[in-house]
Amino acid sequence: MHLSAVDYVVLILYFIFVIGIGWRLRKSVTTAGEFLTAGHHVPVWITSLAFLAANLGAQEVVGMAASGAKYGIMTSHFYWVGAVPAMLFVGVFMMPFYYGSKARSVPEYLKMRFDEKTRGLNAITFAIMTLFSSGISMYALAKMFNLVLGWNFNNSILLSGAIVLAYTYLGGLTSAIYNEVLQFFLIVLGFSPLAILAVTRAGGWTGIQQRLPDVMTHAWKYVGHPEQNPMGVEAFGLIAGLGFVLSFGYWCTDFLVIQRAMAADSMSAARRTPLLAAFPKMIMPFIVILPGIAALALTKMGSGYSLPPKGAGYDYDQALTTLMAQFYPSGMLGVGLTALMASFMSGMAGNVTAFNTVFTYDIYQGYIRPNANDRHYLTVGRVTTVVGIGLSIATAYVAAQFNDIMDFLQLVFGFVNAPLFATFLLGMFWKRATGHGAFAGLLSGTAAAALTHGLTAAEGKGAWIAQIHSFPSQMAQNFWIAIFAWSTCFLVTVLVSLATAPHAESRLRGLVYGLTDVPHDAAAKWYQQPATLAIVVAVALVFLNLVFL
Amino acid sequence: MLDLRLPSGLFFAIIGVILIAISFTNPRAPMTDSNVDLYTGLVMLVFGGFLLLLAQRGRQA
Repeated sequence: MHLSAVDYVVLILYFIFVIGIGWRLRKSVTTAGEFLTAGHHVPVWITSLAFLAANLGAQEVVGMAASGAKYGIMTSHFYWVGAVPAMLFVGVFMMPFYYGSKARSVPEYLKMRFDEKTRGLNAITFAIMTLFSSGISMYALAKMFNLVLGWNFNNSILLSGAIVLAYTYLGGLTSAIYNEVLQFFLIVLGFSPLAILAVTRAGGWTGIQQRLPDVMTHAWKYVGHPEQNPMGVEAFGLIAGLGFVLSFGYWCTDFLVIQRAMAADSMSAARRTPLLAAFPKMIMPFIVILPGIAALALTKMGSGYSLPPKGAGYDYDQALTTLMAQFYPSGMLGVGLTALMASFMSGMAGNVTAFNTVFTYDIYQGYIRPNANDRHYLTVGRVTTVVGIGLSIATAYVAAQFNDIMDFLQLVFGFVNAPLFATFLLGMFWKRATGHGAFAGLLSGTAAAALTHGLTAAEGKGAWIAQIHSFPSQMAQNFWIAIFAWSTCFLVTVLVSLATAPHAESRLRGLVYGLTDVPHDAAAKWYQQPATLAIVVAVALVFLNLVFL
Repeated sequence: MLDLRLPSGLFFAIIGVILIAISFTNPRAPMTDSNVDLYTGLVMLVFGGFLLLLAQRGRQA
């Protein structure tokens, strides 16, 4: 792909604007609270779009197009099953406890609700995982720019790291959130023309339906048996594993996204944040998945475009960039690449700002220096930003050198995350759940995940203890690992809680259902009420699934 | 506090103008006959202008 001067102008303009936003916000950051939690005064339209954009990394944009080309419209399950329902749940049912608790982070909520060890476990694993995922996506981006544009790997990493550092260091969480919104607009405006052009060229949706096997254009028709669909999954694993355990585990407990909602200026705005974010989230498949499906159709119809071959199949990861090269003239090509860069930066800044807060409040203030003044924590927050980005860069190089280590770590992270939602569900809705119960549940849930992986095989992976079952795909294996981990955590938490002394009710006020007054927001109009928004989204969701049944 | 509509509006308006300006002489992309730069440039200009308008009205209020 060849870039011309105007493409670089667009890219450089973008860099100037993101750093400029950080520069303008620098004066509003005078306390640790403003730097790390945005001082709870960000308008709701901004927190909603940031809630979405922080999750929308470059790997997701590239990966969803790849997945669209590989699995077809079934990829939409990652949105319509695996994200939106959980976003509704967190907004309607869980946000009152997160926001109402006045906790500054998700681990801190766990400390208030359960105990120190549960918080420590969550804070430390979260901090490590955040750094690694930031480094891994940095590596993926630099590798892609190297492949597509021939850019130097080191320069890509250093440049992107330096820019994210500049604007998060200057303006803290507020700057990260503001930039995420700009990045979100850019992603939508930069990629939707590609979806429109590619789908039109492939003959519209009906044209695609004619050219591709039936299974690629139906989301639900072939999920009865794993052998019938390319994902190798079946309805129960899909709904329970992806739609419930994994999705709720991410959207309802991951501090990276929850932090955006917690930055809102009121409880009512915090609850509306994930609900309003659900609207664009529902539409995203049309922007990121459709181009991938169209790419496969264009390949099959001999249009002149072809997915790059790889082995016996195609190199799906290049679907998005090869389409851009074919459909975007210079100028728009620059916008598309800038959008890719923007999606990467929004994901990375999300990781960095979440890492910051958890390290400063939950690890440093929690265990290293509990009683310093606010100025001290502001400095620590700033230093952590620099160190965090430095460690992400180091991780990117580890990823470049030792691919196996990264695969292994991502597997372990999956084990740690899988049981999380059971802990939060019981913590928020069952006042009898205790700290010992939660801690034991998390550990045994992770162990159950590892055990399931050790006893089952899929695509030649797993079964390192013995093979008692084999899954048709790794995706199905992941879903079932999650189901076993969640169920184990749920069961152990309940049993251990019942065997240990309950927490005093006075300590749980504002943290648990039944001991919390969920404030009725009389000022909010009927269309701003969480229930109204959730119902509208739910109806639209059912409609979308029926259309692509 | 900075009104985010201002810088984002400005950003898209500028990109829109650049795309429109180059669209008349720019060769088309290999697989489409549409003037992609012109159409997306117009959309971005309108979007940027809309954000700027909102920011302006927000300031007056």
